[in-house]
Amino acid sequence: MTRPDQPIAHLSGATGRQFWRGLDELIDQPEFRAQLAERFPALARHAGDWRRRDILKCLGGAVALAGLDGCERAPDEEALPYVETPEGATPGIARYYATAFEYEGIAQPLIGKTREGRPLKLEGNPQHPASRGASDPITQAALLGLYDPDRSAAPRRLGQPADWALFDTQIAELRQQLDASAGAGFRLLTGPSRSPTLLRQIAAVLERWPQARWHAWSPVNDPSGQGQRSPARRLLLEQAHAVIALDADPLGPGPLQTWHATGWGARRRAYQQGDGAAQLLVAEPTPTLTGVTAGEERLIAREDRMEALLQALAARLGLTTDAPPLTVAEQAWVTKAAQALADQRGRGLVLVGEHHPPALHALAQQIDMALGNLGRTSQAVPRVRAQSAGSLRDLTTAMAAGEVQTLFVLEGNPLYAAPPHLGFANLFVRVPLRIHAGLHANETGVASHWHLPLTHSLESWTDGEAADGSILLTQPLVRPWTSVRSRHALLAGLLDDPTTDRELVRATWSLDGPQWAAALVQGWIDTPTSVAAPAVAPPQPAQPPAPPRQPGLSLLVRPDPSVWDGSFASNPWLQETPKPLTKITWGNVVHISPALAADRGLANGDLVRLAAGGNSITGPVWIVAGQERDTVLLHLGHGRSAGSRVAEGVGFSATPLLGLPAGAEVRLTRIEGHEAVVTTQHHFEMKPDEFVRFVDTAGEALPPEKPKPSFYPPQHSKPAWGMAIDLDLCIGCNACVVACVAENNIPMVGKEQVAKGREMHWLRVDRYYQGSPGEPEHSFQPVPCMHCENAPCEMGCPVNAAVHSDDGLNLQVYNRCIGTRTCSAYCPYKVRRFNWFDYTGDDPPELKAARNPEVTVRQRGVMEKCTYCIQRISDARIAAKKEGRPIADGEVVTACQAACPTQAIVFGDVSEEDTQVSRKKASGRDYDLLAEANTRPRTTYQARIRKGAREA
Amino acid sequence: MRQRSAEDRVTREVVRIPPHFPARRAWWACFAVALLLLGLFFVSVAVLFGYGPGVWGNNIPVSWGFPIANYVWWVGIGHAGTLISAMLLLLGQQWRNSLNRFAEAMTLFAVVCAGLYPILHLGRPWRFYWMAPYFNTMNLWPQFKSPLTWDFFAVLTYLIVSALFWFIGIMPDLASARDRAEKRRWKIFFGLGALGWRGSAKHWYRWQQSYRLTAALAVPLVVSVHSEISLLFASGPVPGWVSTVFPPYFVLGAAFSGFAVVSMLAVWLRSMLGLKDLVTSRHLNRLGQLLLACGLMTAYGYLAEAFTAAYAGGKELETLLDRFAGPYAWSYWAAVLLNFVPLQLMWWRGMRQHPLVLFLVGLSVAIGMWLERYMLLVTGLYRDWLESSVGYFRPTFWDWSLFAGTLGVFFTAFLLFIRFLPVISAFEIKEELEKARDG
Repeated sequence: MTRPDQPIAHLSGATGRQFWRGLDELIDQPEFRAQLAERFPALARHAGDWRRRDILKCLGGAVALAGLDGCERAPDEEALPYVETPEGATPGIARYYATAFEYEGIAQPLIGKTREGRPLKLEGNPQHPASRGASDPITQAALLGLYDPDRSAAPRRLGQPADWALFDTQIAELRQQLDASAGAGFRLLTGPSRSPTLLRQIAAVLERWPQARWHAWSPVNDPSGQGQRSPARRLLLEQAHAVIALDADPLGPGPLQTWHATGWGARRRAYQQGDGAAQLLVAEPTPTLTGVTAGEERLIAREDRMEALLQALAARLGLTTDAPPLTVAEQAWVTKAAQALADQRGRGLVLVGEHHPPALHALAQQIDMALGNLGRTSQAVPRVRAQSAGSLRDLTTAMAAGEVQTLFVLEGNPLYAAPPHLGFANLFVRVPLRIHAGLHANETGVASHWHLPLTHSLESWTDGEAADGSILLTQPLVRPWTSVRSRHALLAGLLDDPTTDRELVRATWSLDGPQWAAALVQGWIDTPTSVAAPAVAPPQPAQPPAPPRQPGLSLLVRPDPSVWDGSFASNPWLQETPKPLTKITWGNVVHISPALAADRGLANGDLVRLAAGGNSITGPVWIVAGQERDTVLLHLGHGRSAGSRVAEGVGFSATPLLGLPAGAEVRLTRIEGHEAVVTTQHHFEMKPDEFVRFVDTAGEALPPEKPKPSFYPPQHSKPAWGMAIDLDLCIGCNACVVACVAENNIPMVGKEQVAKGREMHWLRVDRYYQGSPGEPEHSFQPVPCMHCENAPCEMGCPVNAAVHSDDGLNLQVYNRCIGTRTCSAYCPYKVRRFNWFDYTGDDPPELKAARNPEVTVRQRGVMEKCTYCIQRISDARIAAKKEGRPIADGEVVTACQAACPTQAIVFGDVSEEDTQVSRKKASGRDYDLLAEANTRPRTTYQARIRKGAREA
Repeated sequence: MRQRSAEDRVTREVVRIPPHFPARRAWWACFAVALLLLGLFFVSVAVLFGYGPGVWGNNIPVSWGFPIANYVWWVGIGHAGTLISAMLLLLGQQWRNSLNRFAEAMTLFAVVCAGLYPILHLGRPWRFYWMAPYFNTMNLWPQFKSPLTWDFFAVLTYLIVSALFWFIGIMPDLASARDRAEKRRWKIFFGLGALGWRGSAKHWYRWQQSYRLTAALAVPLVVSVHSEISLLFASGPVPGWVSTVFPPYFVLGAAFSGFAVVSMLAVWLRSMLGLKDLVTSRHLNRLGQLLLACGLMTAYGYLAEAFTAAYAGGKELETLLDRFAGPYAWSYWAAVLLNFVPLQLMWWRGMRQHPLVLFLVGLSVAIGMWLERYMLLVTGLYRDWLESSVGYFRPTFWDWSLFAGTLGVFFTAFLLFIRFLPVISAFEIKEELEKARDG
């Protein structure tokens, strides 16, 4: 090897000047390199040799080039931004559409608010008599149902994702078969929908295939699956000065709640003003919203006592002669009821719960007719489809006989909800072709060959019948973003009818262009009001001998006030809404009376087995003050096993005990174990007149209270916002609670967090008892932020996050809040809510789309509370400023106020004397909650009135 | 010569501890436990910051939970050191000299633990500095009516003053430790802390001035800081909180719990480091007497509070009765039992001088005073005005782990202190010896 000190070969032979710059250069000759490469191959550089950096460069380049390919992918459709804005569409300005939402066969008239194409809030249609702007909690929560991330997004065949094309080919085959056999073996099972377009389509199906059969069923209307219940009457509660309800709950949850409660509210407000009476006498086995509203005129009686009570009432009114024996309390109640009815001749109303036998309804109508009430306080309802639809029992009989080849379940979940004695589940799986269409792949959907996703009511064209009998049109608020079809499209597809949904609906109603447009704008079709002739009471059918009174337990199975029959179990807004009487969220219980609990040594949450008719359920008990001693109440709709992550595993199913024959023996046995039942309000009795105050009759005033001295200067501003909540009108329905959730982006926190006392509702409805647990007087009290003039929270906050606005609002500045929680500790009303975790960050994009863009989504670690819907105040202020005028009275309507069916909540400027809210506050019934705390709340309450009629 | 050697012995006994630590094994055992708890502290804080304050048991209505109760407890403990050092210094109680150094260190570390809590308590702890008045473009200031704003100032002031007081006090001893250290690293270590102290008459003169002045500042601070903390409760309109008795009641309770912890530490250090000559039974006797006196005054506070509540009636009385017999009555009666029953042993000199008895009484009071803070906070909030808003508080694992974690913070710092710094004020004991001879 060449060494530097050796004579260098190429220099030794050279002549002339040879400069070299360094030894390196001198050595670095080809021969040297060759020698080096020989000895140390690793040091040599070969041609094409890739160094580490080169490789990385190359890799990087390749990745970048590969990425370029991705840039070229064109969108599926041509999408263009607005060049010229469509007429009326201004980003940031909401648009409103009249639409409707149907459940349990009754459509709710609605106005849907959308912004940038997203539906954001539903309000009752203020023009429609069945709503007058109000709504119920289930309707309020329908918005979230639209955005439910667990909704089926594409058809499934045998549990595997499939596409519509495959279904369409199968349906074409089916159509050929049906054409050949005139529809033999084809059965259609629907829910209780009364959509005229749907009924028209079903009629077309039956016409084309005469051998096909249609069955309609809902577990609420028809728990035993036998067919329709007693014909219902349409109640005109606004006209009813005296209502006698026997185990009937007209004000209770359900599709008629808004209709009934608006009527009741109107009547009660008139009574408050001195116009007539608003008496409500209720006999019932378990407390209901109607019973609570009746106050002390509530009789606790077993379900099977209703017959005796009604007969006694008839006898007392001189209609019949045989008066059954009654207890002293029953006697007193019947006397009072008879007196009220006699006083209000022609303006009274006798009601019997829908689940009672037709004979009882007939007797009630007879009383009404004798007193001249019929037609004035109630109207007969023509049954739309009772003729042609078969019952669920007819269907199971046919299934058992093997007559059913194809079963098309259009909406509903009979596999979960059908009463056990029909054996639906076993029969269903033997049907050769099972098709289910619904919003979720629920229990029935999972067990079917085909599960077809339906559109939500808010994204489809349809129509329906409102509570007052008028026809509502449903317009889509948004185009479906998943691969779903409407029920109309499915039936049209079955008939190979290419008409679009919109045209199908339009074809049902022969309206010309302007009429159609007008109907869409107002939301309903002006039909000539059929003057319902005063219904003639049907002749009293021969009474079957009443089953002898069972000494044992009496079981009631009712729909859940929040999730109904389970149709809304996947809606967290409803699951987290505390049930009106028990304040239980996320689950159901076995409701028992305090006396029964004492007898059996049961405490809240103890597990029991309830057995009847060969079936049993297991669940935790809950003691309900004011429940009849031997009555046990269950709620439907829980214990779901498929369909939605929200619904699954919540509570237990009451279906095994559904549809029992009257008088079936019910056994309640305690079993080992305890289940944590989650409630937002623990069981505490209220001292008389402490939080909810009472006066005896309308016009009476509370004892006046002297204003307490304060160091703080009084607040004067214009406007000065305030709220008045009339406890005499509040029926505790929770519509305000859910409306507040929808308006203010209130996060749902789940069962575990509610159990820890961390629910986020800005507005809650407190429930209090007075008197003995066996026979208490219940009261409801909605509690939003009081917006105190002397607010303790503002004093406590170290960083000025809780401050007062010029117009008298108590503000919470989210981005200034550091979360010391002092404000909540100091708040006497405990209306503040804290973001203990990041409750919103992980929401799926669908739920983010449902949020109101005008309300901040709160961060982890900040306090929040009711703002009096400050975004609505701002809207009104901006509108007024643009027009250079003051904000008019009634221009700002808070979300809770808008939803309230009885107009118990009034909001407005308290600095003006003639505003609605000031007039409410001027009433003698007005009082401050916790006046002794001297916080000078801007939200005040009006005392309840005990008696529904002035003393004669 | 004999006289010199007595003083020499004092110095040697104290300053030889760091380089020639007498109880290495015991120290390591304690330190390992402390480090474990410190680790738990970091884990708890990481979980807290990762998920949010929801990991605790707090809720609405009990929006304040362990963090605030523990905060008050730690600050209370932190008051004893200052009281022993500063107040007894000003009162010329020379016996304090054997106790003051570690009592001051205890104060310092307890206040650090206390100061951590209000920050960890926040929903958005990264914004804690918004409580401080600082110039900012938004022209936003703290809300000066809030007791929390003043709390922030109070704790910060107290931390600074007690750190100063402790440091000024330890300086001469650091100088003598420096002078006697054999190894260079100890010389540098102590030398840095001694700030060039040479013991000249001028140094001593200036030292006396600053030490007395800081003491004079610290004593009123004890009263004002804990009065301020009581206002966290007393200024809210919460039945069971809103009471004018609270400031003195809290200050006395704080001194009580502080002396209890000082007693425990004195007994522990004395036996672990073999300081029986310096922390004598006379000192234990004094501590027992202080404990008894503070305990009785705290008991008076209990009675006064109950009386005012009963006299006020209404919601105040309801809360009082609820404390006696409600779901959290156990915390009330356990506090009464642990605070005042074993305390009665302190009436006897023999019991006071018995190290184990004193330690156990101190432990009982420390737990009792913790329960008292828990009881005050929870019974006030869980059921205040509206019956509808009753909500129970149940601490979670992370509540306890953070509490244990702050114990780790405290003991880690305290063990490092006794390992590396002179735990007893040698020069003040020498001064005392001198005075005893003169007198």
